[in-house]
Order: sequence, then structure tokens, then C-alpha cells
Amino acid sequence: MELNRRRLLQLGLLGVAGTSVAATAACGDSSSGGASEKKASSLTMWYWGGGLSKNVVSSAVAQFPTPKLNAVEIGGDFKAKLLTTMNGGKGMPDITGVKGEDIASFYPQAKQFVDLNTLGADKIKSQYLEWKWAQATAPDGTQIGIPIDIGPTALFYRQDIFAQAGLPTEPADVAAAVSTYDDFFELGVQLKGKLPGHFMVKDLASLYNIIVTAQTQFYVDKDNKFIGDQQHIRDAWDTAIKALTLGIDAKISDGNDTNVGMTKGTLPAQLGAAWAGLDIASGAPDSAGKWRVAANPGGPANIGGSFLAIPKSSADPEEAFKIISWILSPENEAKGFADASLFPAAPAAYKLPELTKPDPFFGNQVTIDVFGPQAEKIPVAFTSPYDSAVSAPFFDELSNAETKGKNPDSAWNDAVSKAKSVAQRLGVTV
Amino acid sequence: MLRYWPQYLAISPFYLLFAVFGLFPVLFSLYLSFHRWSGLGERKWVGLKEYDFLIHDHTFWLSLWNTLIIWLMSTVPMLFGALVIAALLHSVARGKSFYRMAYFIPSVTSLVAMAILFKMMFSSNFGLINAVLEAVNLPTYPWTNTPWGIKISIAALMTWQWVGYNSIIYLAGLQTIPGELYEAAQIDGAGPVRTFFRITIPLLRPVILFTVVISTITGMQSFTEAQVMTASNGATNPNSGGPGQGGLTMVLYFYQQAFSYNDFGYGAAIAWGIFVIVGAFAVLNWRLVARQED
Amino acid sequence: MLNALRRRQILPHAVLAIGVLISLFPFYWSIVLATNTSADVFRYPPRVIPGTHLVENVRHVLDNIDFFGSMLNTLIVAVSTTVLVLFFDSLAAFTFAKYAFPGRRVLFGLLMLIFMLPAQLSIIPQYMIMAKIGWVGTLRALVIPAAVNAFGIFWMRQYISRGLPDELIDAARIDGASFFRIYRSVCLPMIRPGLAFLAIYTFIGAWNDYVWPLVVLTDPNKITLQLAIAQLNFGQGGTITDYAMLMAGTLMAVVPLLIAFTLFARNFVADLARGAVQG
Repeated sequence: MELNRRRLLQLGLLGVAGTSVAATAACGDSSSGGASEKKASSLTMWYWGGGLSKNVVSSAVAQFPTPKLNAVEIGGDFKAKLLTTMNGGKGMPDITGVKGEDIASFYPQAKQFVDLNTLGADKIKSQYLEWKWAQATAPDGTQIGIPIDIGPTALFYRQDIFAQAGLPTEPADVAAAVSTYDDFFELGVQLKGKLPGHFMVKDLASLYNIIVTAQTQFYVDKDNKFIGDQQHIRDAWDTAIKALTLGIDAKISDGNDTNVGMTKGTLPAQLGAAWAGLDIASGAPDSAGKWRVAANPGGPANIGGSFLAIPKSSADPEEAFKIISWILSPENEAKGFADASLFPAAPAAYKLPELTKPDPFFGNQVTIDVFGPQAEKIPVAFTSPYDSAVSAPFFDELSNAETKGKNPDSAWNDAVSKAKSVAQRLGVTV
Repeated sequence: MLRYWPQYLAISPFYLLFAVFGLFPVLFSLYLSFHRWSGLGERKWVGLKEYDFLIHDHTFWLSLWNTLIIWLMSTVPMLFGALVIAALLHSVARGKSFYRMAYFIPSVTSLVAMAILFKMMFSSNFGLINAVLEAVNLPTYPWTNTPWGIKISIAALMTWQWVGYNSIIYLAGLQTIPGELYEAAQIDGAGPVRTFFRITIPLLRPVILFTVVISTITGMQSFTEAQVMTASNGATNPNSGGPGQGGLTMVLYFYQQAFSYNDFGYGAAIAWGIFVIVGAFAVLNWRLVARQED
Repeated sequence: MLNALRRRQILPHAVLAIGVLISLFPFYWSIVLATNTSADVFRYPPRVIPGTHLVENVRHVLDNIDFFGSMLNTLIVAVSTTVLVLFFDSLAAFTFAKYAFPGRRVLFGLLMLIFMLPAQLSIIPQYMIMAKIGWVGTLRALVIPAAVNAFGIFWMRQYISRGLPDELIDAARIDGASFFRIYRSVCLPMIRPGLAFLAIYTFIGAWNDYVWPLVVLTDPNKITLQLAIAQLNFGQGGTITDYAMLMAGTLMAVVPLLIAFTLFARNFVADLARGAVQG
């Protein structure tokens, strides 16, 4: 009857759609790592492009044949993906990278990770720089991760441009000449005077960032109190603004423009971490051989440097820990430096040939001579999970002062009041 | 009620999915907006505090301003350009198919890739645009390093991508206008401009309405263009919208708060703020364009 | 006579030609980038003619990612999504357009709701659902939520309400046809152009979708093309340093779309035209 035919048709149409959908289902259902299996047949590790040396990763895969190691490189917003997956509770990898700038935000969620101390991390703790190890120690004592690399800062500079402007050229001389930021800025004024259109400072954000990270505390302290309006931040702010008022700020935030500036020499100086060297090398390859490294103004600071962690849902935490310790051994961290410019967090690596080799990009300078001592001197500092969000208004207002000509003092006031409300919103005591 | 069972059955597949994948996330986000939640761990009830913060949040209003300006800068030239192109296409005798394809292609490509490309083209020291300006002795401009410049770059991308698409829609509309109307107008002595405004536009009104409403909604939700073009290397201050936060659109602000700063409660409140604003705007546009139809 | 006509056409053609150049220029430029080396990318003044490194860059792309595998996955997702959307949306749109039933306004209004909220909002709750029903890492997780396409319903409803004369429906009803029969025999044939447009729109959207697949596809061996391309990034913080390879990859990802488009374009654009007008 009518009814039957109609029904059949409906079902038919649904069937067609269903088959194609079934095709998607047939194309496999995978739950990585198999948290339900007794002994995992494979372990999945997530990392981002450049987070680990590809060579070391493939060696690890070869080194640990069973269970099979599935190393996955995740493109795009790594943290968003990690967070969302953690939230859903399914599909978490057995080993994951955690970026340096994100590790503090996981402190309240330390229980989402296996406490590496329970797997023997305390035995290898001494292999790593104390302050870096501490970054992955949650306030409740859980050791969330083991450091992959660090970002000891330095001043990268174009020796040829410095020479043209009559500035010191040897790393030791440069370091002596820029021991304070005032000295550094003086050189900047000199640079601009001799070579108009050449700027010592790329933008206020990068400058301000280094000054702040050299401190031992930032915007929120250990007791979850707001300290962003205090002297250490105010001083950093004032120093950054000075670069603006002296006219040595290029105000360039676009990465492409930075690359061109570095190639042409109009940006002959970069304050950055060791891994910034890789950015310079790939962004300005034509300037190879002309750069040198010197200790940066102010004190040694650290920017970046990530960790490997084991999520609590990991199929085989013991095995995962073996893999992590192997990948992050001093020898392999040294290899990581050679391949991917990942500056080791294990000081023993600094004596290894990969690190003590002269670097052709830096005119055959042995850069470890600068970075090594810097790395050891970096102070232990407390990073709050909310530092990132609370610091944002400061960067935003600096940008306003820089690009919109906003009065620096009112920018400061706005930054502080904004930061206070953000802090309040996040549950920080103001 | 039972009499309508075929209708309900017909819409049920869609609405079942909609309930799970459309409605639930929406309701969940409303629920979230009354809490403080970092994406993991406990959700703390805070009532209307997030909304209170939202109303007093200068950055949110800045993002609204940015979104509006970028929307104006892109949608207005885009729709006008589309009309002009459609009119031109309508008037040429040959090559229509070729032109249609050529104009349509920009809307087919990956937005991420094109955003990267446009960012490179607008680079101050390095981009094509400035190179061309220099070549003809015009002053260059720091497109990607100033708040206004970045707005222009983003708007340029949005305009470029959708002009062709809308022009084809308008062309179709034009093609349905009977030729006799134009002949009659010509006999009456009306010039091209008068004809355009008195005959063409009124008859195109429904089509124009459609494109305006859709462009409003999607334009005010622009995210990818802004995110990719203002992305910087630094690990600090991610997704903040570039120089002077000039490229911070509302959705980008939402994304930053939720995914970069782990504040999902606030992010949800922002999203609902966006909804109210976009809704109001769409209705406004609708009224403006549809009003004269009577 | 012919000359006068030709002369009048020169101006429109000239303007249109300029427009075409602007439209197609970014593609040309991405070809330039894809055929040169990465170092060339940052040269100033920039290079403007294609080079000879295309094969090399393509090879880099193929070495680094599973291009064809991910393309196949994308194809499966795009086709499935399109089929589902066409079916569900046209059925629902037809119902809204031509039939009155209790709750119609409210249900339709709900659609406007989700259309106006940013899509990124649903990422977390959607993922939580996927985790609960075990679809994380599957292609199903991409297809099924995408079937909830509000635009599709708006579009088809507009199209149907203007393009499908009520008389045809009444005639069929008088003949004793049931609801679904009317849908199948009367509605579907008449809305083919509208469906064609929706099909292409949905297909392209699914092909280019990025953020949601990024979050939900956890198996490295089962990712879509856009994700694979995104993996061509290097450096800390995701800075792109090998532009040449990235552009080559992007071009490779667009080519299938362009081919399909040129093949079906004639019909499609005409259909779009007709679809829009009736809508």
C-alpha cells in the first residue's frame, strides 16, 4: 500500500545516506593507546613541530620496539587540542609534550598527570637544571614533566652592522658594553645616529618580556596574590618605555618584516632565547655568518623550553617513563640541539661535542660559552597559572603606547586596573 | 498534532542531530557563562559576574569596534563591487562563463592558506604591496604593524574572497529582470544611472537582502582571517589581535580567552555577547534593506 | 554596426579583466612561492616569476606528510557530509517552506540561534559528547555534526518557498499523494539547482574545515588534508619557516577542488545563479 511504499522509499534513502556514513565508520575506529588493554601494544606520543628533534624521535622509535612508539606531530594550536582532549577524557596520548608557557596553567590540574616521582624521576632530577625542573613541579609536589629544553636568553647581534656603527664587535666587549639596559639603549642611540633607519629594539613587547622574565616573581605570587602593580613590574615597564622615548624602537611586530629587517641589517640586534637563533637562521638565511651572541643586558632570563609529561590515562606509565628518560638524556638532548636547536636542560650536555662545536651561522663562535654560564645562573622563579592572562593587559597597553601614541603613564594605569580585574575574574586575590 | 506526523518525521533527522550537536553545546555554553572554569577541574558558580565583567571590559568593546570597522571596510566595498561586476558581466556579450569561474575561485580556496599569503603581501618591509607602491614612487605604509593597517589588510582579504561569489548571485538576479522594463525606461528617456536606481535595485532587493544578511552574520564572526594575519611568533600574549590589538575581532577575543587563557566561563559570556550583538545587527540590516520594499 | 557594438564592450571587458587579475593574482603568487626556494621568499624586492623548484617542494611535501591518505579521508568526509546535508536539509526545508504545523516558528527560530553563535563555542561540549560515545578519532565525528548545517536549511527553504509553486503541491495532493511522495516526486526534481549549490557549498566547507578536525582527530594515521598541511610548520611557537613547501602543499590541496570545479563549473555556476534568484 501507499504506506509501505513510502516507508520503503524512506528507508532506501536513509540507507544510501547510511552507507556513506558507514563508510566513514568502516574506515576504522581507533582508540589510541588502548587504555582498556592490559599490556599496551603501542604508545602514542604527541609533540609539536620543532618541539623534539625528528632524529631523536625516530631513534626512540627504533630503540623501543615494543610496545610500538607512535610519535605524532600535531600542527596548529597544540594546547587547545591537549586541553580539549583532556577534558573529554578519551583519546589522550600516553606521552605528551607540554609547552613551557603552558606548564604553569596545569598546576591546578597536576592530578591529570602521573607524578613522575613515583616512577623514579627523583633519581634523575640532578641531571637537570634546578630552576627548570622546578617549573614542572606543581605546588602540591607532583612532578608533572621532565624538561626537554630551555631558552636561556642572550643578545644576538650583527657584527658587521655594529662595526659600521662604531659599536664594540667582539662578544665579550659587547657583553661588557651592555651590562645594564641604560648602556644598551645608549648603544641604540649611537646606532641610530650613525646609521639612520637602523633600530636596536624590534618592539617593546619582546624587550619588556625579557626584562620581566629575568625576575624571580611575576604578576601573581605563590599565595595567589596580585603583585603586578609592584616595583619590579613598574621598573620593567619604565625601562621598556625608555626605548620608545629614545626613538630606538622599530615597532615591528610582524614576523615577516622582522625577517627582512634581520636580513637587511636594519634590525641588527635581537634579544631572545637560544631557540631564537633558529628563527633568525631560517628567517634571514642570507645573513649567515654575520651574527654573534653575547650576554644580554640585565640578568640572565629564560624564555620557553618545554617538557615531556605522562598523562594519567597512559597505557603503560613505566614504559613511557623509560622512553622519556631516554629521549631526554644528556646525550640525546645534545643531539636535539644539533638537529633542532633545542638547548638542553641537562648541563652535562654542555660539554658534549654537539654543543661545543663552533656554529657557522654565528661566524664559528662557540655559542655555548655564552649560553652555558647564562643557563646556570637563571634564578628559580614561581610562575602562577594566571600569570599569562594577567600579563596580557600590560602587553596590550605597551602596544597602545607604541603604535597609538598613548601616554605611557595612563597606559600603565590602565594596564594595572585591567590586570586587576582580570586577576579578580580568575580568582586571584587583589 | 498527530495529523502532522509526516512533517515531524521529515524534520526529525535534522533536529535530532541538531539537539545533540547544535542545541546542547549552545545550552552548555550558556551554563558555562555563569561559572568560572579553566577547562579542567571544578566549575565554580559565579552568577552574573562574568557578564558584569564583560560589560565593563574595554577590550571587549574594542573588539566590537574592530569587528564593526573591519566589517564595514570589507562588506560595503564587497557588495558594491559585486553589484558593479554583476552589472558589467550582464552587459558583455561573450566570455561570461570564463569570467564567472575566474571570479568564483577565490571563495573555493582554503582560508588559512590565503590569509598567510595576504599577510605576506601586506608586510611592511617585505610585501608585494609595498614593493609595488615603491615601484611607482608612492609612499609605502606599515600595513601589518599599525592598528589601521592591519584592519585594512584583513578587510582586503575578506573582500577579495567574497566579491566574486556575491557578484554571481547578483548576476543571476539581474538576468531575471525582463528586458522589456529596460526598453520601456529607455523609451521614457531614463539614463543608465536612473534606470539602475529605479528599476534594477528595487527588483534586486530580495537578492540584496539575502547577501546583506548572510554577509553581516558571517562577516561579524570573522575569526580565521584575523587570527592568522595577526599571529606572531611570540609565546607571550597569544591571539591578541596584533598591533594595538587592531585586528582583535570579537570571535578572536573569545578564542583567546577560552583557549589561550583557559577562561571558559568568560569565553562563554563573550560568545553570548557576540550573539546578542550579531543578532541585533542582522535584524537592523534586514530592516534597513527590506523596509523600502513596501 | 558591429564596430560600434565592439567599442562599447571594450570598457566593460577591460574593467572585468582587471578584476580577474585581482581575483587570480594570489594564486599566481602562491605558484611563484611554491616553485622557488624558501630563501627566495624573504628576498626583497620579492620574486615575481615562477622558479624551477616545484618538483623539489612537492617532494618535500610528500616526504613530510601522508598527502594522498589524508586527501582520501577528506574526500570521504566531504562526500558523506554533503549527502547527509542534502538529504536532511532539503527534507526539513521543504517541510518548513510548504507546510504549517505547530511549533514551526519556534523550531525555525532555534536555527537562527545556532547560526549566530560562533562555531568555536561548541568545540569543547562537542568533544565531550564525542568522548562519551566513543567517536573520538573517527571520521564519523566530522560528518555527523556537520550535517547540522543551518545555512543549508535557510538556503533551501528560501529556494523552495519561491521556486516551488504551491499549485504543483496542491495538484499532487488532490491526486492523493502523501507527504513523502510529494517530496520525492514534486519537490526534489524542481530544486535540483538549489541542491547543486548547497552540495558544492557543503563540499567545499567540509574540504577546508580545520579547527574541529584538529581537535577531534587524534589518530595520526587518520587525518584530513588541512591538518596534514598544517603539520608542515616548523619552529617554536608554530612559526612557518618553509614557506615554499607550505605553499606547495596548499596548492596541492586546492588542485583537486579546482579540477572538480572546472569540470562541474558550467552547470554549477548557472545553478547557483538560478538558485540564488529563486531564493
